[in-house]
Amino acid sequence: MNLTYLFQGFVSFLLVLGITVPGLAGEPTEKIRQITDKIVSIVSDPALKDPTKAKERRNLIRSAVDERFDWEEMARRSLARHWDQRTAEEKKEFVRLFSDLLERTYMGKVEDYSGEKVRYEGETTEGDYAVVKIKIITKKNKDIPVEYRLKKRGNDWFVYDVAIEGVSLVNNYRTQFNSIILQSSYENLVKKLREKGEPK
Amino acid sequence: MKKIDLELTVGLFIIAGIICLGYLSVKLGKMEMIRGNGYDTYALFSNTGGIRTGSPIVIAGVDVGRVKSILLDNYQARVVLHFTENVKIQEDAIASIKTKGLIGERYIEITPGGSEKIIEPGGRIRETQPAVDLEELISKYAFGKI
Repeated sequence: MNLTYLFQGFVSFLLVLGITVPGLAGEPTEKIRQITDKIVSIVSDPALKDPTKAKERRNLIRSAVDERFDWEEMARRSLARHWDQRTAEEKKEFVRLFSDLLERTYMGKVEDYSGEKVRYEGETTEGDYAVVKIKIITKKNKDIPVEYRLKKRGNDWFVYDVAIEGVSLVNNYRTQFNSIILQSSYENLVKKLREKGEPK
Repeated sequence: MKKIDLELTVGLFIIAGIICLGYLSVKLGKMEMIRGNGYDTYALFSNTGGIRTGSPIVIAGVDVGRVKSILLDNYQARVVLHFTENVKIQEDAIASIKTKGLIGERYIEITPGGSEKIIEPGGRIRETQPAVDLEELISKYAFGKI
């Protein structure tokens, strides 16, 4: 009894100091683990493998991701300096277009899942920010390092950036969006995103 | 009288030479004698990929500062960035280590963010992107297939 209190006290003491305890899987890691397990269970569900169920499966994956990803924060960070100049309406539309862009880009990869393993490599928390490091181990035994960056909002953690092999997703889109906007205009960027989103 | 004149000229030339040498070494060593309006921030990288003290920091290709020092901090690289001008770095700016060309010199690029919060002198650039190890990537994706 006393010992647990002591331990808790010690852990919160470390947290106050900003020291991370790698051995203890904290809340952010748990959140990532939850969503990973959820998506893995969706993509490996044999009942949903049928081609006629493809749409349903996509919707399930999308809603699972929506729960944990802060699309607005991601879109804001990707648009960076150009975000402030947008009206509330434009921002809303951009967030939608941006999340659809990510869905189109990565959904195929998620659907191709074939039993890759995930290893949790620890996390670092600092105030309202956390980094969760994982490794995806492919069937050929190569590991791909992935870093989730999370931010606390209210009492929950949300992903605002993902870095694969050290390359940040937000940084990638930030550079691209910036050069499109500077070369032409924001309207042109939205047009491009819309065109890409239209079913062919 | 004539002899003193000659010695004086030689002396003057030597002094001029020493001043030139001093100027050159300051210029080439990228040392700054007068610390202007600049300020320091720091960032943690998991891999610096060979950044050195004095490596340039750029925004949109424009030199805005230099790497002041690199230390090992909890098995990460703690890089102190000195901005020579009063550029404002937003809290969500990303510092990434890039290479000039394929095998060129390493430098740090800052992609400015959109946050209203500005990093104070002595503050930390939270978002970083380590150097991409090309060799490792090639070996992973090119030679891995059997």
